[in-house]
Amino acid sequence: MSAPRNRIGLLGLYGVLFFAFIYAPIILIVVFSFNANPVNMMIWSGFTLDWYRSIFGLSTGLDELSLYVQSTDQLLKAVRNSLIVALTTTLVATVFGTSVALAVARFRFRLRSFYRALMFMPMIMPDIVLGIALLVFFVSFGMSLGLVSIIIGHCTFLTSYVFIVVSARLAGMDRSLEEASADLGADGWTTFRKVTLPLILPGVIGGALLAFIISMDDLVITYFISGVDSTTLPVFIYGMLRRGIKPEINAIATVMLVFSFVVASLGLYLRSRGK
Amino acid sequence: MTGRQAASHGPNALRRQAALALLLAAPTLFLAVFFVGPLALMFVYSWLEPGLYGGVEWTFYHLNFGRIFGWANTRYESFDPVYLRIFARSLWLALQTSFFCLLLCYPAAFWVSRLGPRARNLFIFLITLPFFVSLVVRLFAWVLLLRPTGFVNQALLGLGLVERPLEIIYTEAAVVIGMVYVFIPFMFLPLYASVEKLDASLVEASQDLGASRFQTFRKVVLPLTLPGIVGGSIIVFIPSLGNFVVPSLLGGAKVMMTGNLIEQQFLSARNWPFGAALGMTVMAAVLLLLVVYVRLLARDDDAAPSGARS
Repeated sequence: MSAPRNRIGLLGLYGVLFFAFIYAPIILIVVFSFNANPVNMMIWSGFTLDWYRSIFGLSTGLDELSLYVQSTDQLLKAVRNSLIVALTTTLVATVFGTSVALAVARFRFRLRSFYRALMFMPMIMPDIVLGIALLVFFVSFGMSLGLVSIIIGHCTFLTSYVFIVVSARLAGMDRSLEEASADLGADGWTTFRKVTLPLILPGVIGGALLAFIISMDDLVITYFISGVDSTTLPVFIYGMLRRGIKPEINAIATVMLVFSFVVASLGLYLRSRGK
Repeated sequence: MTGRQAASHGPNALRRQAALALLLAAPTLFLAVFFVGPLALMFVYSWLEPGLYGGVEWTFYHLNFGRIFGWANTRYESFDPVYLRIFARSLWLALQTSFFCLLLCYPAAFWVSRLGPRARNLFIFLITLPFFVSLVVRLFAWVLLLRPTGFVNQALLGLGLVERPLEIIYTEAAVVIGMVYVFIPFMFLPLYASVEKLDASLVEASQDLGASRFQTFRKVVLPLTLPGIVGGSIIVFIPSLGNFVVPSLLGGAKVMMTGNLIEQQFLSARNWPFGAALGMTVMAAVLLLLVVYVRLLARDDDAAPSGARS
């Protein structure tokens, strides 16, 4: 390509600005989470780790009034709830999503296109619609809102995410290996265990990680179907933000950032190795 | 493959039937109860009469939709177009969000497509990475930036560009900025997929044949990347339309969207049938949009039977 140089230059400049737009807000949070100024978070007045100490429940020299989380118990409970929900959901949604993906990709049956449409439904539906539908359902049938209702709610839409990731993997897979295995006398189960499963495993793990991240982060659906005692981390932070802003949020946000970066990088690394 | 499945007799076929049933039984049961069930129930709710103290009366009642669309001029209430206005605003803000996402991502997609393979993968990773960062965290960043004492205002004051802090947060603009920021990965990926497929030789041919840059863009580049443009716009439009987190954090009480209205009906006004009717309306709008999109795609495929598009 012998495109004129100045055009590439302009486009390159634009690329830099684009990335600045994407990353500046995130970097800002990280930087200001170390800012000692308790009154205005945007004016730098020295380096401190106090906000981190505060969220981890260590002693700080801070005035009680400048703190959000009076006790870290609430925060830790929200983290624990989030982890319980995300881990359970990931397990169930991965099994369900992979099963349906296998059925749709490897079997011919009358309702195949119906299942495919069903799996795309949650992807195209606005979150809030599913959230209120689940709320109405749980309350109408007298189910109490809590961790179980959140897990059920998350499984309904995360099954689709796993389905889509695993389906993509199945579609790109070489069918002849499975046929060879069958020709060599392996029964269906052995073929699945020794050939199909190892081949789709990167897709399954990728789908599971995606489900885990989305479940950890889901706010809208959880917001409607979490009970009083079952606040998850995003709902907890959302509540904090609605009450007002204090510097500790920066530290909490930074910890969450690091966590999601690690999980996402791990997922993409695994995916690139699977190819 | 087909040979194996054509043999629909014998124990083998039976075992395959059993395997299929085993794969589908649990997910089917689960989704029938907890996905199809709630949606059906919500549909029913939207046609029921709200009870006096928050509950629901099991009688047919069409005025939930009447309150939205204007036939609720009864003895007890006169129609107020406030809900239609909120709905129109949601449509308008979602449209703006799609437009600005497109405007930002289109050049970026070209930029990334021209990088070397290693850099390209890295940048695609970097663009999708924020999607994995918690939504509340990303929005919190914008609250910090846009507040009267926030970063943007500090910078503007410091540079002497304004004398008093601007009112950016709690405006429609803030809501659009927030939604654009959140949905950039949704726009970028489909757009990039179609930009990457764009055959450079077609662009060169067009220029060799004497077309100006603008003509080449309008007649070659734009039509060929149209699937990505339309796809990305719809993928951004749908979650923007029903959004309630962004407007509640960045729009405050001033910029109410349908999502906030629905939340209000469920969590404070406790008029569930009306909230359900609003939810159904959003859903209907989304489905309508998708039907149009699928129709367009089908027409597109008919027009280009070469099978170049996968």
